[in-house]
Amino acid sequence: MTRRSSHILRAGIAIAIFVAMYAGSVVLPKAQLFTLTDVLILGLFATSYNILLGYGGQLSFGHSAYFGLGAYSCALMLLHVPGIAPPLAMLGGVGVAALGGLVIGFICVRRSGAYFSMLTLAFGMLCYTAAWKWRTVTQGDDGFGAFVPAEWVFPLIGSIKTGDLAQMYRVVLVIVAVVLLVTWLLMNHTPYGNAIRSIRQNEERASFLGYDVFFAKLVNYVLASAVAGLAGSLLVISHNFVSTDVIGIDRSTEVVMMTYIGGTGWFFGPLLGSAFVVVVGDLLATVTTRWQLVMGVLFILMVMYAPKGFSGVVRYLFDRSALERRRPL
Amino acid sequence: MPLAFMIVFGFLNGTAYGLLLFLLASGLTLVFGLLGVLNLAHASFYMLGAYIAFELVRLTGTFWAALLLAPLIVAAIGALVERVMLRRVHVLGHGHQLLLTLGVSYVALELAKWYWGTASLPLRPPDLLKGSIDIVVGSYPIYRLFICAAALVVLVCLAVILFKTRLGMIVRASVSDSEMVSALGYNVGNVFTGVFALGALLAGVAGVIAAPMLSVYPGMAADILVDLFIVVVIGGLGSLPGALLASLMLGWAQSFGILFVPEFAMLFSFALMVVVLMFRPLGLFGERSA
Amino acid sequence: MSAAVLQLIDVYKNFGGVEVLKSVELSIPDGEMHAIIGPNGAGKTTLTNLITGKYPLSKGQLLFRGRSIDGLKPHERSRLGIGRSFQIINVFKEMTVFENVRNAVLSRRGVRLQMLRGITRYAEVTQETREVVEMVGLSADSERLAATLPYGAQRALEIALTLALAPQLVLLDEPAAGLSAAETRDITALIRRTMVGRTLVFIEHDMEVVFALADRISVLHYGRILVQGTPDEIRANDEVRRVYLGYRDA
Repeated sequence: MTRRSSHILRAGIAIAIFVAMYAGSVVLPKAQLFTLTDVLILGLFATSYNILLGYGGQLSFGHSAYFGLGAYSCALMLLHVPGIAPPLAMLGGVGVAALGGLVIGFICVRRSGAYFSMLTLAFGMLCYTAAWKWRTVTQGDDGFGAFVPAEWVFPLIGSIKTGDLAQMYRVVLVIVAVVLLVTWLLMNHTPYGNAIRSIRQNEERASFLGYDVFFAKLVNYVLASAVAGLAGSLLVISHNFVSTDVIGIDRSTEVVMMTYIGGTGWFFGPLLGSAFVVVVGDLLATVTTRWQLVMGVLFILMVMYAPKGFSGVVRYLFDRSALERRRPL
Repeated sequence: MPLAFMIVFGFLNGTAYGLLLFLLASGLTLVFGLLGVLNLAHASFYMLGAYIAFELVRLTGTFWAALLLAPLIVAAIGALVERVMLRRVHVLGHGHQLLLTLGVSYVALELAKWYWGTASLPLRPPDLLKGSIDIVVGSYPIYRLFICAAALVVLVCLAVILFKTRLGMIVRASVSDSEMVSALGYNVGNVFTGVFALGALLAGVAGVIAAPMLSVYPGMAADILVDLFIVVVIGGLGSLPGALLASLMLGWAQSFGILFVPEFAMLFSFALMVVVLMFRPLGLFGERSA
Repeated sequence: MSAAVLQLIDVYKNFGGVEVLKSVELSIPDGEMHAIIGPNGAGKTTLTNLITGKYPLSKGQLLFRGRSIDGLKPHERSRLGIGRSFQIINVFKEMTVFENVRNAVLSRRGVRLQMLRGITRYAEVTQETREVVEMVGLSADSERLAATLPYGAQRALEIALTLALAPQLVLLDEPAAGLSAAETRDITALIRRTMVGRTLVFIEHDMEVVFALADRISVLHYGRILVQGTPDEIRANDEVRRVYLGYRDA
C-alpha cells in the first residue's frame, strides 16, 4: 500500500483503540479500570524510559528517580498548597523531575556505556535514600495519602469526582494519549528525533557532522525525566497515595524489564510491556506470592531468546502488516 | 568518646570497609576487563556468599567451614551463569549482557527472599574472633581487624596468582587481548568461565567475611552495590590501583561521616564522587576503554 | 597576510611517551589540493585526527584561517567549515542513503535539534539532500539501507556525507581504499568535480590518485615531514624514492 494510505490506516487504528478504551470505561468493572489506569500510567513511564534506551541508546538504571521526584513533588504540592488545582501540581511534578534530570544528567551523560549505567544507578539510590530518610517531609516508607481534592475542576468542560474510578480513568487516558502522541511525533518525525537516533547509531560521525552530542544527549535525558515525572504525578493523583515505592531500585528495574519485554524498537513497545507486566503480574499474584520471580525469569529468557521483545515477536509474525518496520534497535 | 579514639576508630572502620569494597571491586574489574561487561549480579554473588555461609554455619556449626566452602559454591554458580546464560548473550553486545546480569540479580534477590525470607539473619563470628582487643587509645572489635587481614590475604594471593603464575599470565593476556590468546591455541571460552567464576569467588568471600559485621539480609546486595559503583566510577573500571585508592577513600569518608555527622553519612560517598568527578571527569586514573 | 586555510606550526603529538608526530610544519593555501603520503604508521591518520579535533596537540599550533582551533571539539570544528571522511567506512548503517546525507544537510543548515516542525516539511533540506546524492551518483540507491550497499557505493556515501556539509576545508582519509581500478577512477573524477572552490587535504596510498589530484604533496615518515613539493619534485626526489616509492632506477 502507498505511504499515505498506510498512514491513514495507522491513524485509524490508533483512533479506534482510543475510542474503544474510552468507551470501555462505561462497561468495565472497577477492578479492571484500576488496572488499566495503572497500565496507562506505567506505560507512559516505560515510554519515557524508551526515549533514553530505544531512541538514545542509553541504559539507565536509575530512571525511577524522576518518576519519584514527580510523584513526591505533585503530592507535596497538593498536600501543602491549599486549593491548588491538580494540573498545576502535576506541572510542578514535571518541573522538579526535569530539574533533577538536568542536574543528574549533567554529571551522568558525559560518560557513556557502563559508566553511565553505574552513575544513574548510584543517583537513583541517592534519591531513594533521601526519600526514605527525610521522614519529616515524605513519611519514609509509610508514605502519606489523602491529598487529592475531591473534585477536579476543568474550566469550560465541567468537573469530575476524583474518587470516581471511571472518570479518573478517562482523564488519565486522555492525558496519556495526548502526551504519547506528542512524544511520538517528536521522536519519530522531527529533526530532533532524527538527531537522537543518528547519535545512537554513530556518535562519532554525528559529532564530526557538527552535532553537539553531549548537549543532545542531555536534552534527551531531561525530556525523558520530564515525561517520567508526569507519569509519577499521574500515579499519585490516581492512587491518592505516595510512598517510597515510587522510587528506588525496584521501580527502576521494573521499568527496564517492562520496556524491554515490550520491545525497544517500536514506540509503543513499552506500553505493550506495561500491559503485559501489570496484567500478567496481577494474574500471577493470585496464583503465587512469588510472581516477581516468575517475571524475572521471563525477563532473562527474553533477553536470551527474544531480544527484540514482544513487539519483535509480533513483527516477526505479521511481517507484511502496516506496522512500521524501519526502526530496528 | 575521646577524639583520639574516634579518629583511630574511624580510620580502622574505614580501612575495613574500604578493603571489603576493594575485594568486591577487584572481582568486578577483572570481569569487566575480560568480558567488557559490567556484572550487575556481582553484588548478588556477594549476597549469596553471605546466605550460603549462614546455611553452612547452621549445618556444620563452624564459621571456618563456611569461609572455605561458601565462596567455592558461589564460584560454581558463577561458572554456571556464565556458561549457560552470558555466553549466549555475548554476541548481542554490551547492552544485552548488562540487561542479562540485571535479570540475574533480580532473580537471585527474589530467590533469596523466597528461601530465607526478608528478615535480617544474624551470623555470629567464631569465638576466636569475638570481642575486642586493647589498642592504646581504646578497645576495638577483633572481627573488624580480621576483615582487614582476611581481605589483604585474599588480595595478596590474587596478586601472586595473577602475576607470578602461568595461569595468571594467561588470564592477564586474555583480559588484554582475548583474540590473540585464542589464536595462540588457548581455549578462551574456558578462560572466560574461569575468570567469571573467580570474580564470583571474590564476591563470595567478601560476602562471608562481611556477614558477621553487616548481617545477612536481602537488601545487602543493593546497599553495597551503590558504594561499589561509586568506587569503580571514581577509581576507573580498568584500574586496580584506582579501585584500591577509591575504596579506601570511600571507606574513610563514610566511617568518619558516620562518627561525626551520622545523619548525612550516606551523602558522603556521593559528595566524594561528585567532587572527584568535578576535577577528574574520567576518574582518578582515567578510563579504560572496553 | 597569506590566505592560508590551514597551518600547522611545529606540531608534536605523543601518546603516552610514544612520539607519533614530530615538528610537523604545514601551510596550505586556499583552493589547494594537498596530498599526504607515507608508509604505514608514519602518522597520517593521527595528523587528520589532530586537525579535525579527535585528539589535542601535544605541542605546537594549529590554525584555521589564522585562528587557533586547538581545543575546539570535533563538532565545533565541523561548524567552522572543516569536514572529514574516514578511512574505515563510518556511516549510519541502519539509515538509508538519503537519510544519511540528510543528517549532514540538516546540520549544515543549523536544523539539528528542532522539535517543532516535521522533518519532511523542510523542503530545502530535502532538495539539497537529493542534489548531493545525485552528485555522488547514488540516486538509484537513495532508499537503500547503507549497510546493504556494495563497498564502492559505501565509499561514495562516505564522501557524500563530508561534501554535504559544504566545508571550506576537506580532509579525506584514503578515499580510494579498497576500490577496484574502475571505481578508483570514478572516485578520483568525483573528487575533482566536487572540490572546485574548496581546499583539500587527502591521505592516499594509491599513487595514481595522488598524482592525478595533488597540487602539492607532503611525505610523512616516522612522524616527520620528509619532503614537500609538487608532484614532479616528489617524483624526482631521491630520498622519497628510496624510502617510499621503492624505485631502483631513475
